[in-house]
Amino acid sequence: MNVLLIEINPFLQETTPISLGYIASFLKSKGFGVKILSIGQNTSLSRSAFHEIIHSFRPSLVGFSAYQRIMLYIIGLAKFIKSIDNNIKIAIGGPQATFMPSAAFAELPDVDYICRSPGEITFLGIAQAIENGTPFLNLSGVSYKDDNDAVLDTPELEGYTDLDRYPSAYLNDVFDYSHMREAIMLTSRGCPHHCIYCYTPHAFKHKISYHSVERVVEEIRWIRKKGIKSLWFADPNISYKPSRLIEILDRILQEGLESEMWLQTRVDLVTPELLKKMKRAGVKTIAFGLESASERVLSRLGKHITLDKVAEAIRLAQKHGIEVELFTIYGLPYETFEDAVKTLEFVKKNKVKIMGNTNSQQMQIYFGTHMAQHYEDYNIRPLNNNRPAYLSIGSQYETDQISRRELHQIQQLWQANSLDGGKRIVS
Amino acid sequence: MCRDKNNKTMTKSAFNKIYIILGKHDNENLEWVLQTLSFLYSHVNLTSNIYLVSENLPYSMPQVENIQKNINEFLSKHLFARLYVHIVHPAPQPGMNDITLCYQYLKQSTDKFDQEGYRHQELPRLILLPVLVPDDECKPTQLIDLLNVLKNSFLLPSLYLNKGTLNLAQDETLMSLTDKIYYGIGNSRKMTDVVCNLFRQDILDDSLDKLENNDLSMTTACPDSLIISAQDCNVYSCMKAFLKNESLAKIHGIHSLEELLAHYYQQDKSKRDCLGCREQVIDSSVDLPKSLDTNQKIGALLYHFGMLRQESEDDLQAVKNFKQSLNLSPIEETDPIYFRLGLGYTKIGHYDQALKAFNSVELAYQGQHFFHFHKGLCYFETGDYATALKEFSKALQSETQHDDRIRILIYIGTCFNNLGKYEQAVGELEKAKETAGHVKEIYNALGFSYFMIKDYDKSIENLKMAVKIDPFSAIDYASLGSNYREKGDLNTAIGMYEKALALDPGMTSARENLERLNKKL
Repeated sequence: MNVLLIEINPFLQETTPISLGYIASFLKSKGFGVKILSIGQNTSLSRSAFHEIIHSFRPSLVGFSAYQRIMLYIIGLAKFIKSIDNNIKIAIGGPQATFMPSAAFAELPDVDYICRSPGEITFLGIAQAIENGTPFLNLSGVSYKDDNDAVLDTPELEGYTDLDRYPSAYLNDVFDYSHMREAIMLTSRGCPHHCIYCYTPHAFKHKISYHSVERVVEEIRWIRKKGIKSLWFADPNISYKPSRLIEILDRILQEGLESEMWLQTRVDLVTPELLKKMKRAGVKTIAFGLESASERVLSRLGKHITLDKVAEAIRLAQKHGIEVELFTIYGLPYETFEDAVKTLEFVKKNKVKIMGNTNSQQMQIYFGTHMAQHYEDYNIRPLNNNRPAYLSIGSQYETDQISRRELHQIQQLWQANSLDGGKRIVS
Repeated sequence: MCRDKNNKTMTKSAFNKIYIILGKHDNENLEWVLQTLSFLYSHVNLTSNIYLVSENLPYSMPQVENIQKNINEFLSKHLFARLYVHIVHPAPQPGMNDITLCYQYLKQSTDKFDQEGYRHQELPRLILLPVLVPDDECKPTQLIDLLNVLKNSFLLPSLYLNKGTLNLAQDETLMSLTDKIYYGIGNSRKMTDVVCNLFRQDILDDSLDKLENNDLSMTTACPDSLIISAQDCNVYSCMKAFLKNESLAKIHGIHSLEELLAHYYQQDKSKRDCLGCREQVIDSSVDLPKSLDTNQKIGALLYHFGMLRQESEDDLQAVKNFKQSLNLSPIEETDPIYFRLGLGYTKIGHYDQALKAFNSVELAYQGQHFFHFHKGLCYFETGDYATALKEFSKALQSETQHDDRIRILIYIGTCFNNLGKYEQAVGELEKAKETAGHVKEIYNALGFSYFMIKDYDKSIENLKMAVKIDPFSAIDYASLGSNYREKGDLNTAIGMYEKALALDPGMTSARENLERLNKKL
């Protein structure tokens, strides 16, 4: 049986769909035929070509990585797939799906499953059920709409805590390397913190799980062998266990695997020794989460960092010749217009170039966050209460402290100070 | 491009851009345009661009309006598709208010998509982008009001400037209201020329994007675009085809549009010199205003083009590209360009210029065997064997691969021969023979060296090996003849000269020697 996995983002260049890569290699290891289709703004793909893919590959299951901003495109493609073959089952997974209300099925006529639990094992369960001819029997980790349009939520599934149990997307060669300039890696998953605006800690139940150092190094070795010398680590906090990161960097240095690297971590998880080693191993850019430069706002986000600590981490990284990016958000709860301006001033004062990921963005209220569930407690007023059930509040809100107009003004201020027109890479 | 894991193309590439030159109020042609577009929607990229090019917007409104309706229907059916519709037309025109009204009307019909975008917290799937083509007399103030109206209606206007209107770019207010500037070569405001210039800019952008994304397939077709002329009902596969008036086919009368597309994929694209077209675009845009950064990127692009030309042994064009690249690239990036330029000059026999290029990068490349080898080659070809010898010796001192080492030894041997140092030549060439085994050039050179030091037996031994490897080598038979002659074996010598002449009747030295020996006998 064949499974087609699709990642679509018409607003960004095509990137390595690492999460789909994991699912693909897991399903392949269980005997399924899997193809990944990554559609970015630069991908050449027409309706007839897409039709040709469905027609020739004949998937029984198509899975989409779902994100807030691309739901419309998923709906469109799902409808098109069903028009080609109504027997093909459609599943959505990923950040938008995990906590999407089941009521959304009413507005997703062509979606059969919403995945709630870790992608690999949840998808395997669905694929096996379809292969067995009982697509809605004994499922876990999903909500589904059966043939009679009845919506059912099944119990959660636990993912593996030892990430090495998931076959590697790289070592199993599920990606096309021909146009890959940069490999996206995920050496750990989850985050134990409690930032009120973030989806990740909730999705991973405030736990963090890891790949072994050996596995990470093996993947880097493989990626280098494929001629790719740029690595982008998507781990939310790659230095959460500093000793582990040091071991990875030591191995990179010992084996001559130095690569241009991008990584992100917390300002309280870096030391001069670590940064020195990072630089030697090839780390070009390190991204820290600042979010707000107002101590008052920052103290209420659950992030537990101080501005002094942020400034110190920036200075240290810059001293070691590592480019710094700062993730910032405006429109945070309790934030006034003046607070938001302070954030911009802080970035400028600390000589962080306003470009790429340092371009600020308005807070997005996603499903699954504490804020999405309790937005009134944060004095947030959604602007559009008629949004489809598959979309969360996102950026359509204002707060008691900041109006829609002011949010727009802040966006313009950032754009005016941006060196690259304000387009963020990570969204 | 969609590829499977084995890097095989899974699908045909999709059209990114369709340029439609609107007709002059011709309803019949409008129907044809709508039919063609409806067919092409299946083959356009999921995000694509349509340029509606009009000589006079108010006059073309019935066509624009109908095309937009057609587009709306397509987008309503296919929620995964996005279209940027660029409306290209002269401005100002006598009825400036009419243009404003046109846009107000057109904008109304995109409301549905604006609302959909708002609902989904994303950009609308249909975006109208006016491209204004001002005339030479146009003053900034004449455009500013219109641009303000457009911006206030959430329409992002662009300007098309050419030589005659370039001065408008000096006006800060005008520029602050302009989303993008397209530059055209020449002075023409004819819409067919405007289309070509838009296409040119697209080819340049595409080439630069490819280079940035490490996609080095510059010899393949340029951006998948079509030009559709409603004026003569023709479809052109690219700018070059349009300029040469080579339409894919007149669609009128053709039953199957699929046939037309098959023709496009299978025949038309493959016969074009797409790399040449990319080069010409850079050539033609040389006088257009560009930022320093863009110029440097073009420099890098030309270097890449030069490499491609060198690979396909079009060394003249390679040299041209490298020379242009040098003019545009930052000084810290010029070393490899000079080196490649040197190689190019060597290939076309311009050894002095090659040496000049090589000497510019002496510091960066010294110690690398290929650098010294090619330098040595230039000196060798210009007859400076002593300097050539120095360079070849340096090449030999660096780490070299087996084949390169042999090649260098042969040249060293030949240099010694040419300098009259035959004993040293023998020494080097024997080393080459030991390493290489059966290489004709070694035996040939050794034959000469031994002949010159009057070791005729050794010379004959080597020349016999040379003709064994290459039985058609007239020069080696003639050399054998000379050796036998010197040894006094005149009959064998005559036989060898005869063989040489049989293979190359024009060999004067063999003929003269033969005549002399025949007279003696």
